[in-house]
Amino acid sequence: MPADIERLYDEHTQALYAFLLNFMRDEADTRDLLQEIFVKLAREPKLLSGVRDERAFLVRLAHNAAIDLMRRRGTREKIKENFAAEAVSPFAATADPDEKFFRDELANALAELPPDQRAVVHLKLWEGLTFEKIAAALEIPPNTAASRYRYSLDKLRGRLRPLYEEIK
Amino acid sequence: MDDFEKQIQRQPLRHIPGEWRAEILSATDGAKISRHPSLVTRHWLSTLNHQLSTIFWPHPKAWAGLAAAWIFIFAVNFSMRDKSPVVAEKVSPPSQEMIAELKKEHRMYAEMIGANQTREAEPAKFFPRPRTERVEILTA
Repeated sequence: MPADIERLYDEHTQALYAFLLNFMRDEADTRDLLQEIFVKLAREPKLLSGVRDERAFLVRLAHNAAIDLMRRRGTREKIKENFAAEAVSPFAATADPDEKFFRDELANALAELPPDQRAVVHLKLWEGLTFEKIAAALEIPPNTAASRYRYSLDKLRGRLRPLYEEIK
Repeated sequence: MDDFEKQIQRQPLRHIPGEWRAEILSATDGAKISRHPSLVTRHWLSTLNHQLSTIFWPHPKAWAGLAAAWIFIFAVNFSMRDKSPVVAEKVSPPSQEMIAELKKEHRMYAEMIGANQTREAEPAKFFPRPRTERVEILTA
């Protein structure tokens, strides 16, 4: 096993895991996709040669792999329909009931967003990427990334405002 | 970034299960071993399959319908082609008497045609006569 693969795993897998779990909402799929990505990197080490931003490159690989998996499975809508019943929360568990309630509601609100919008929100809020980097990772124009973020945030705000006001 | 965004951003994300590290990294070891030619072929086939599924994915029912239509056309085509030799085989060969009768008729027709042809072939004989003799014939 090349040492570089181990280093990549240790440096980036937590971020890829969170991104894929939020995107797919399925732990088994997330694991399969992570394995697929690292197997691909092990088979084709040249993929990383000349890459300046490893994280952005790996997010792009993860996003493409997730889209391919969705296509193989069927339509995206079919998967979206299953979210309500089987969605796994991307957030850590907590003992505080108020915090737990907010996280569950936030997870549900995120699950209602289309996957493309959810990906942008995730990369912006939890990865702290700029719209340019998000655009490069998801292979969309920066304006599209920005508008998807705005629409998503409006939806989340509309759905979570009463709860948020209460917690605040 | 406003307060609402910050509130969302503060929510900690779930951690990756620790046991996955060994499992995923051992799978990458398998990937290095899989340079064997047969597995490379399999990888090539899976890539081809992936490419085809990308093409067919948007309208699978339409492609399936098109394929079914072609299969139907081929089936009809083959069934039509099969009938003609069967019919030819089923026809029994003509009897000796019939052959003899047909030969006889054929010969008779040949003779009739041959006679007509000889009659048509011989042009009407014309013997020139003096003009005076022709006038006699007309006045007689």
